[in-house]
Amino acid sequence: MSQRDEVAGRVRSYERRLFLQRAGVLAGMTAAGAGTWILNPRGAWAAAPIKVGIATDLTGPISWGGIPNSQVARMVIDEMNAAGGLLGRPLQMILKDTATNEQLAVTRVRELVQKDRVDVVLGGITSSMRNAIKDTIVHRGRTLYIYPQLYEGLECTKYLYCTGPTPAQQCDTFIPWLIRNGGKKFYLPSADYVWPHVLNKYARKVIESHGGEVVGEEYFPVDHNDYSATVNKIMSSGVNVVFNTTIPPGVAALFKQLYEAGFSKKGGRLACVYYDENALNITPAHEIEGLASCLDYFKAVNDPFGNQVQDKYTRLYGTKNPLTAGSAATGMWRGLNLWAEAVKGAKSVRRDAVSEALDHARLADGLGGPCEVVPGTMHVRMNMYTAVARKGTYEIVEKSKGLVDPRECL
Amino acid sequence: MDVVPFVFDVAAYSAIFVLVVLGLGIIASMMGIFNFAHGEFVLLGAYTVYLVEGTGMPSWFGMLLAPLCVAIVGLVLERLVIRRFYAAPVVAMLGTYAIALVLREGVRGLLGGQFYNVSAPLVGSFGLGHFSISKWRSAVIVITVVVMVGCYLLLVRTRFGLQMRASLENPALARASGISTSRVYAATFALGAGLAGLAGGLMVPIYSLNADLGVPFLIKSFLAVMLGGMGSFEGSVAGAALVGATSAALPWVIKPVVANLLVFLIAIVIVKFRPEGLLSRWRS
Repeated sequence: MSQRDEVAGRVRSYERRLFLQRAGVLAGMTAAGAGTWILNPRGAWAAAPIKVGIATDLTGPISWGGIPNSQVARMVIDEMNAAGGLLGRPLQMILKDTATNEQLAVTRVRELVQKDRVDVVLGGITSSMRNAIKDTIVHRGRTLYIYPQLYEGLECTKYLYCTGPTPAQQCDTFIPWLIRNGGKKFYLPSADYVWPHVLNKYARKVIESHGGEVVGEEYFPVDHNDYSATVNKIMSSGVNVVFNTTIPPGVAALFKQLYEAGFSKKGGRLACVYYDENALNITPAHEIEGLASCLDYFKAVNDPFGNQVQDKYTRLYGTKNPLTAGSAATGMWRGLNLWAEAVKGAKSVRRDAVSEALDHARLADGLGGPCEVVPGTMHVRMNMYTAVARKGTYEIVEKSKGLVDPRECL
Repeated sequence: MDVVPFVFDVAAYSAIFVLVVLGLGIIASMMGIFNFAHGEFVLLGAYTVYLVEGTGMPSWFGMLLAPLCVAIVGLVLERLVIRRFYAAPVVAMLGTYAIALVLREGVRGLLGGQFYNVSAPLVGSFGLGHFSISKWRSAVIVITVVVMVGCYLLLVRTRFGLQMRASLENPALARASGISTSRVYAATFALGAGLAGLAGGLMVPIYSLNADLGVPFLIKSFLAVMLGGMGSFEGSVAGAALVGATSAALPWVIKPVVANLLVFLIAIVIVKFRPEGLLSRWRS
């Protein structure tokens, strides 16, 4: 063999080895399924597990919501397993990262319903995500779907339960409070996507029926970062309440520019219905002093049940991605527990039986207090709290009188 | 329309924009590399300020450190990755895009996907008539002018600037004249990265720190460089000023969503009629 042949042979063998190595790695990745985690129940169980699919955004721009969602799901499922599982069977959690990418998410939830054959899917943070994956889960996958985030309402798909607050729950008590504690002239700066458009329509109705007036309603690209024109309009038209639905990261620039223009100092009231403990980090505390929010839970509710859940969550996962209402974590908690109640009631995990039981499921105690599904509507009645930001923390200023109706799918 | 807040807004937003484009413009015009990781260099600058503030030091100290740290990152990346792409600009775009993804998702992982605020060295605003003018945004305007003039002098009046321009005009002749073009390119890339880091550090108190901080600026920055014309530092600055000013001014008269589109439309029309860049006639 000439020297050249020897070299060529070595190169070939090297190429073969490299190919085998790479193929091996690729096969391993495909087999495990990138972005999938299976969390098996601890201990020895005789019965086959009930499979709970969690599809949420662990990476990408919405990961601030997806990470606490997955953590709270894991905590609740571990608790259920420690208490003996459901129907004598353990729970297995199959977590999929939907990566803030609707196309990818459809593939991931298809795996959940077709390959893993899960008994229920919980997840999705944005409305666009819910809309992208619901058909795959509910219709083609014939699986129960629970959506945990506060949202714009109007979702009335059978077998799709929404466990976060609706516009009625976030506006019915909140807007009258804003009129009493701010004034009658409202301005609605908003991000240009479905949630602000639909929420504003509802908010406008409530504002006007309580004698208020909407001075301006304006939509911005979601990553807009200069609001001087709007701030100038707000300051020159004597607006009392800025009812904001712009979202991070743009919201930081808006609040800062309003602060620098002296909006709150001159008696204006900032309001934002997704603002929770997490959002307090977005701007320095002094810039949002007096900001009012309305959600189904705040740490400031300070009830023994909520405190116990919070303590456990913090012990397990630290404080980097806290359990808050605006990130859908409370909706996830509520969704899993309501579903478990329904499974116990139905004595089955079959979709129709569980859905029938879920239709009137209730929790005697929970994050923010008791809650119950409103029969026939697939939405949840819950307590709502109005809170005001003071020195970097919230103070509860009003609690709803009893459970607030979601007023959806009537 | 109120003139004072309008003029201030246009100036302040254009200043931030010029600051972002300076680094991108230098790299694009001197080296012919469209650096898709520029937005992430901006992000790294902002992240440096956040880290420094987290240790209890003042944020202005972080703003001084940010350009140095990001320049070092830029230098390392140039030596390891970018220099392999000089012959293939399209591959360079893809390569820098990959770097951008790694940096962005890395920072996102470190931040847990969260948003954090960084305090401005100057808080609040001062009154001008019955208007309030933000102190920090005013400071950014001043700093931008200083940095802009500094960059211009560096490129036009110093030996290093001469070497840079020589390496761009005719690399072979520059090498024959004893200039190490490889080193000049490395230094140029580091300079561009450092400027991005400075922009990130200065802008983060106006926005908030998050992994996507640099993204909204990137596409418009490329537009600015295209508008100004490749191969010219002054052109990039003029392009940036134009894009920044239109972006800030249009929402005062039309809907912000439409304004966003119109910025691109206006730029495309200008590029159509002045494909060589805004300042081409002036330069020739």
